[in-house]
This record gives sequence, structure tokens and C-alpha cells, in this order.
Amino acid sequence: MSKSIEQMWKEGFVNETQLTAPKINDLYNRKSQNIVDKLQQMFALNIKAIIGGSLVALLMFSLIGAPFLGLYICLLLVPLVIIAKKELRNSHQLSKGQSSYDYIMSFNAWLQHSIAVYARYYKFFYPLLFIGMAAQALVSDAGGKIIGLIVNIWPTELLLWGVPYYLLLIIVGIILIVTRFSDALYRLDLNIIYGRQFKKLEELIADMQELRQ
Amino acid sequence: MGSDFYLQYILPHAGIIIKICRAYTNSQADFEDYYQEVCLQIWRSKDNFNQQCQWPTWIYRISLNVCLTYLKQSKNGDKHIVSDSLPDEVIDDSKAFANDEINLLYNAIKHLSETDRAVILLYLEEKTYEEIADIIGSNSNNIGVRITRIKSRLTKFINQLD
Repeated sequence: MSKSIEQMWKEGFVNETQLTAPKINDLYNRKSQNIVDKLQQMFALNIKAIIGGSLVALLMFSLIGAPFLGLYICLLLVPLVIIAKKELRNSHQLSKGQSSYDYIMSFNAWLQHSIAVYARYYKFFYPLLFIGMAAQALVSDAGGKIIGLIVNIWPTELLLWGVPYYLLLIIVGIILIVTRFSDALYRLDLNIIYGRQFKKLEELIADMQELRQ
Repeated sequence: MGSDFYLQYILPHAGIIIKICRAYTNSQADFEDYYQEVCLQIWRSKDNFNQQCQWPTWIYRISLNVCLTYLKQSKNGDKHIVSDSLPDEVIDDSKAFANDEINLLYNAIKHLSETDRAVILLYLEEKTYEEIADIIGSNSNNIGVRITRIKSRLTKFINQLD
């Protein structure tokens, strides 16, 4: 190579007007592929889906004779709507016109905060949802019949609210497992969808921090 | 997007966007997607432009920030090498520019880390160390050292590719 890279650049772009911009197609209606916008879209869609889903759950459970479970699920989802709305508002404060480091850091701070907030919520949501469903199953007619069958097979005199102790122990065990792994489940879900981007973000931050030191 | 905004505020600076997007993509399809995303984000961010920097600097910032956080899974992934030898991967965009030397230079630039690509592009665009530090958000004292290192790696890559 005889030329310096500066010379190559200067001579190669001596006539910048020759650079052809690609055609822009319906840009205003284009869906963004940027991770911030993608997450914003996801949060916005979440809010609509939660509201719609909780109304469907209320209607569905009312129709099958379990209106309290429907109402209970609706109430469980209310904090999720509040959280999603708050996180969506926070995300709009991120400006893409900052320096790359500031932008990446503010994006990462927002992302970590959002993940932590959602993870905290799911830690309570999954076990509470399971408790509600288990309670509904136990008090229902079908549940009563199944408990009767179970007691016939494994008889015991130790009953709590008419439920054999070992069944309650199994329910408590499942609740503990769900509580223990709810955070991991949520993060696993996120990593499946955004793992590659999160890794790229970590590498970028490390590289930029090195450049700042 | 209003076509007036694109024609008046973006198109005159399309060269900046093209040069940056080309450095972060390996195919024409990816390049067009990145270009459109940058234009979309410039339009969306126009109200945040507070004249603390010049409009072209704003375009540099948004272009880099968009390229750094774009979601598209490209065919060759976003992997870059950390050693000084070239990998076997094929870049499907080796004739993106009319000038062969520029294509060669870009081919080498694409093998740098994402931060290094940003630094060298701004340097080649004749930005001062302070301006580069301001756009990237780094320390201007380190920029000179990093540029020397990048240039030496680029020279090595170009000699291997040539």
C-alpha cells in the first residue's frame, strides 16, 4: 500500500456529491428497528394487551362461574399497567442526540432499571397468580370431587379447610419454586429475545469506558 | 416524515449518514435499512436539537448512536475481530463505492470494533480530537493514542486484503 489511509479517504471522497442516497420509502410509517424504540413499542403493546387480557379473563372466568378469580387476576395486572406506563414515560426522556457514551449509558441505566422493576413485579405476580388459581380449584365443585378421590386413594385424618395436608404441602412447594425461579424465568425470556443486543451493549460500554480512562 | 424536512435538512448531509452506515453494514439491504433508520431517528429527534452543537455534528451523533443500537441481525452477525489477522468471513458489500481504494479501506474498517469504527470515521472526516471526544463522549487525550493504534491495524489489514 503506497498511500496513507487519509489520502485514500480524501481522494476517494473528493466528489462527495457522487454518493447516492438510497430511496426512502414511506419513512414516516416505518417501524423502527432501534432497540429503544422496539422496547417502547413492546411496553406500549404490553399495556394494551394487559388491559385487554384482564377484561377477557374477567369475562371468561365469570362465564365459567369463577368471577372472583377473574377479578383477582385483573387486580394483579393493575400494577403491571402502572409500571409499563411509567417505564414508557421514562424511556421517552432518552435523547439520541447525546454523545455516544452518554446515550449508551443512559440507555443502559434505563434498561437495567426497567428489568429490575419488572423482575420485582413478576416475583410477586407468578406466585400470587398460582395461589389464586389453586384456591379457586380447591373451592370449586370439580376440585372438591378430585380432593374426595385423592383422599380415598391416600386417606389421612389431617385436613386443613377440608384439604389433605400433603396436597397443601405440594401447593406450598410449587409456590416456593415459582417464587424462586420467577426472576430467572423473566430474565431468561428477555435474554432469548434481546440477548444478542445486551451482549453488544456490554461490549460497547466496556470499550467506551476504556477510551475514557 | 415530511419530504420537505428530508430534502432540506437530511439530504444535504446524506454523505455523513452513508459513510457511517456503510461502516456498520455488510450488505446493500442492511445499509438501506440503517440509512432509513437514521433518517427516521433524525426526524424524530429534531425537537431535541438545541443548537448547542452544529446540525452536521447532531447528524454524526444520531447516525452513530443508531448504528450502535440497531437491532437487525445481519447475515454475518456483528462480530469483529480482536486479533490482528483477518477472519475468513466474506463481506458481501465489497463494491459499495465507485472507488476501489475506498472499498478496500471500508473492508478493513469493518473488521474493527464498533467504537474504533466511530473513532476512525470521525478522524477521517477531519474532526479534531476534541470534536471526536465530544461526539463519542470520551477523553480527548486518549483519542490520539487510539487513532494511532487503529491506523496501524488498518494498514495491516489493508496490506493483507490488497
